[in-house]
Amino acid sequence: MSRASRPRSAEAPAVLADGRGLSGAMLWRLFVGQCLVLALHLAWMPAWFAGVAVVVAGYRYRQLRRDAPRAGLLLRLAAVGALVAALWGQYGSLGEMRALIGLLLGVYLLKLLETHDRRDARVVVAIGLVATGVAFLHGQGLPLALAAFVALTWQLQSLMWLSGARSRRRAWGEVGWLLGLSAPLMVALFLVVPRLPPLWHMPETPRAATGLSDSVSPGDIAELSRSDARAFRAEFRGQAPPPGERYWRVYTLSHFDGISWSRVSPSQQAATLERPLSRFVREGRASAWAGQDPPRYDYALLLEPDSRPWRPSLGTPLRAGEPQRFLADGTLAGREALRSRALLDLESSGEAPAFADPAGTRWFRLLPTDTNPRTRALARRLWRQSDGDPRRYLDAVLARFGQAPYRYTLSPPRLTGPHRVDDFLFEARAGYCSHYASATAVMARMAGIPARLVAGFLGGERHPDGHFTVRDYDAHAWVEVWQDGAWQRLDPTAAIAPERIEQGAAAVSEGREAFLADSPFSPLRYRGVGWLNGMRLEWERLEYQWQRGVIDYRGAARERLMAELTETLAQLGRALVALGPWRVVGLAVLALLAVAGGALGWRGWRRWWCGRRDETRRLAAFQAWLGRRGYPLRPGESPAAHFRRVARDRDAAGPALEAAAETLEQWLYAPLDASERREAARRLHAALGRARRDWRRATRRVIVKAQTASTRHEHP
Amino acid sequence: MSWRRRAWPRNGWHRLAAPLGAPLPQRRLFLLPTRFGLGWAVLIVLLMLLGINYQNSLIHALAFWLFALGVAVLLRAWRNLLGVRLSLRLPAEAFAGGAARLGVIAESRRPRTALQVRCNRERARFDVEDGRGEGELCVPTPTRGVWRVPTLSLESRWPLGLVRALAWQAHEHELVIWPQPLGEAETYRADGGPGREEEDFAGLRRAAPGDGPARLAWKQWSRTGTLASKAFEAPPRDAVWLDYADGSGDPERRLSWLCARVLAHHRAGERFGLRLPDLTLAPGQGEAHRRAALDALARCRPGADGEAAP
Repeated sequence: MSRASRPRSAEAPAVLADGRGLSGAMLWRLFVGQCLVLALHLAWMPAWFAGVAVVVAGYRYRQLRRDAPRAGLLLRLAAVGALVAALWGQYGSLGEMRALIGLLLGVYLLKLLETHDRRDARVVVAIGLVATGVAFLHGQGLPLALAAFVALTWQLQSLMWLSGARSRRRAWGEVGWLLGLSAPLMVALFLVVPRLPPLWHMPETPRAATGLSDSVSPGDIAELSRSDARAFRAEFRGQAPPPGERYWRVYTLSHFDGISWSRVSPSQQAATLERPLSRFVREGRASAWAGQDPPRYDYALLLEPDSRPWRPSLGTPLRAGEPQRFLADGTLAGREALRSRALLDLESSGEAPAFADPAGTRWFRLLPTDTNPRTRALARRLWRQSDGDPRRYLDAVLARFGQAPYRYTLSPPRLTGPHRVDDFLFEARAGYCSHYASATAVMARMAGIPARLVAGFLGGERHPDGHFTVRDYDAHAWVEVWQDGAWQRLDPTAAIAPERIEQGAAAVSEGREAFLADSPFSPLRYRGVGWLNGMRLEWERLEYQWQRGVIDYRGAARERLMAELTETLAQLGRALVALGPWRVVGLAVLALLAVAGGALGWRGWRRWWCGRRDETRRLAAFQAWLGRRGYPLRPGESPAAHFRRVARDRDAAGPALEAAAETLEQWLYAPLDASERREAARRLHAALGRARRDWRRATRRVIVKAQTASTRHEHP
Repeated sequence: MSWRRRAWPRNGWHRLAAPLGAPLPQRRLFLLPTRFGLGWAVLIVLLMLLGINYQNSLIHALAFWLFALGVAVLLRAWRNLLGVRLSLRLPAEAFAGGAARLGVIAESRRPRTALQVRCNRERARFDVEDGRGEGELCVPTPTRGVWRVPTLSLESRWPLGLVRALAWQAHEHELVIWPQPLGEAETYRADGGPGREEEDFAGLRRAAPGDGPARLAWKQWSRTGTLASKAFEAPPRDAVWLDYADGSGDPERRLSWLCARVLAHHRAGERFGLRLPDLTLAPGQGEAHRRAALDALARCRPGADGEAAP
């Protein structure tokens, strides 16, 4: 093996002179490809993979420089062993998703050690393509897709070199051709090919549960205001709700243990109450509990992946695009957790459910008896003052919150005692939505009014194109009480901090140092800067379109598009039939003519374009031009001699023709290198053009002279 | 079925060959998957399975794109070979035991990349740029005789190495392979005679720098003022006959010996005739005569004649 060429000599061929061994330049290309693929993964994988890549490439480089021997079997086995051990240490087992991806990446990087000929190099590229695909398991965002496109292009370029490209221009030109030709087919396949359901179960990447949890103790939701993670997005068909009505229900929390509220799942409820599960949850596309009320809101949700199957709905869910689990408390759950973003079409009422919970009203009056004695005393007092009227009682509770010294703050003081509601109502007197909601629900239950806590989201950012983004900091808790045969929404936050309802959590002024505290670089912090905010919104819009249009193109979305397509085709067919046979034939003939004309035009253009620099053709044209003017080429006469003969006859064009003859001889016979040849051809062309011009000018002068002479002759 | 039995047994693929020298027609161009191409298909299936099981749209898209790339590669590989005009340039002379350098010339308007011409086991790789590309096949020529150059195959794995575009090129080219000349020591049989001088005056010619002063025609110069030099010629000699029967050893050895003699006499500028069992070449001289003699040696079939056997 010869000494390695410098890695930057990108024009070097893929193989060495022996026709087998890979050149240093080719190895450099493979290494760049590895770096690009690794870059796709690096945000999710341990950073030491970059070190592996550099070490392997360094070893390979030294080996090319003959400073190190070829990596023997022992070294390679040791490298793989070390990789497995490192992954084991990182993840605890090899069965986990990330560990498997890491194994693939490691093998991909280590393969460079034993890459010696074309075949090995192609294997490296193939593994690289698999690794590019696997990168989409981390996420499917637009930036990742673009980066993967870059990596794919580079891999294709590597393959070009391996199959014999000799110049960078040729390799990249062919990559352009291939991508251009294949892109339309790829798009067509993407649109048309049906998507199969999963064939078997694959290992999963564990996803941290974000956002809401199904138990709320006072203070929990304030924690969420520190995060700007996206919870879901929604796009309304028809009217969108006003800001004060954007209550996204997720969970109802009906069990209170004196400290925190927690959700009782349908199966727990069924087990506790010894009733069949179907009383509490039904699967289907429509709610079994709601009546036939027309839905007020119709929208599509774009849900983020989460480890729990929660689904938000604006008020009570009525109908869904795909089968869901409708719960008797008027909430919705998916059939399984989402492993990637998903679309959900939903129709809902926008209000609390109007049907009773099968658990019965007693269930919603349960309270631990020995906690919060001061609150109990307060409740008794207020109940007496409102003469046992539930409505007046609840008004009094809310009115109490609306007065000083109750404060609404994003960073409430920590409560630790056994009587949390007492502490809040009588000591701290500062809290966030969950504190107030919890206290309100407890006081309602103390007065015997069935009540439950609802955890969900309030608000959402409206984008210029109309869709809403709901983030973790929009999380909210409020109360529902059973009154007059329906659940009624009761939001104590509205009494104390109406700006939270109308403008969102960002509008709460107190304790705002906690807002977005966990996202120091969030662009949401710079909402005040106009152009930055505009850019953020534009980016989010693009990303939303990408998600809805590309990533979630399956199932219903695909069926809809296919239906439209077939419908369009059918309409076209009907229109053709309606035209009658003769017109159809006429149209076909017209189309054929157009195609033929286009092809002819294209060929002519091609010929012109290719012949543009064809000197022989130009020369022949000029000779023919001379021939038409009475100076045809004589048999056995060279072109240069022809020009000289004409030059002697025509004085005006003489110098130009002489110059043309001389340049032509140079061009034909002188040993010129490529650039000089081009230059000579250019000069020849210029001389021919000058000769033509001079000739014409002289002829015109002669004609003018002749005319003036004749006029002089006639009128002496 | 009868046509198949008739046509197939010997070199059936000859029927699939296109004539050399004409633009490669579409019906004589074949696309075969390579091993990497099959691997590519497996890769697509693998990505498809991954995409289906994880319900991942972008993995689907990548798999579709790789598939579409494969289809585009078919088109581009086909276009890379379509219409190439291949021609063969035989070497001027080839001796047995050496190697013949066959020039392969490809012409086409469009540039072509990574063409590979194969003849038996030899291969030449080249590109076509600016309308023309040239490669060289170095084919070993072990034995004397008329060698029919086998059918050439023109192939290319451009652009991605997924498919091999392949065409066979039939032709009628024959290469006359002259016998291997014997070593110098054995060839020299003394009948060359003593070294001869050029002594017969043959006229005057224009003097050129480097002519010896003795040769310059000083008299002419004094008379005409033009410097000329005298030219002489060696006297014509009796022709040498190279006879097959004079040699010793097996026929091939005799032919090799004759070959070496022909070369030696030609180099010495002598007239010689050639007498072979099946052919007699009248004495002559010069390049054409040398070729005729060597061709006769190459085509000689001593075994056909009874008397030739030693």
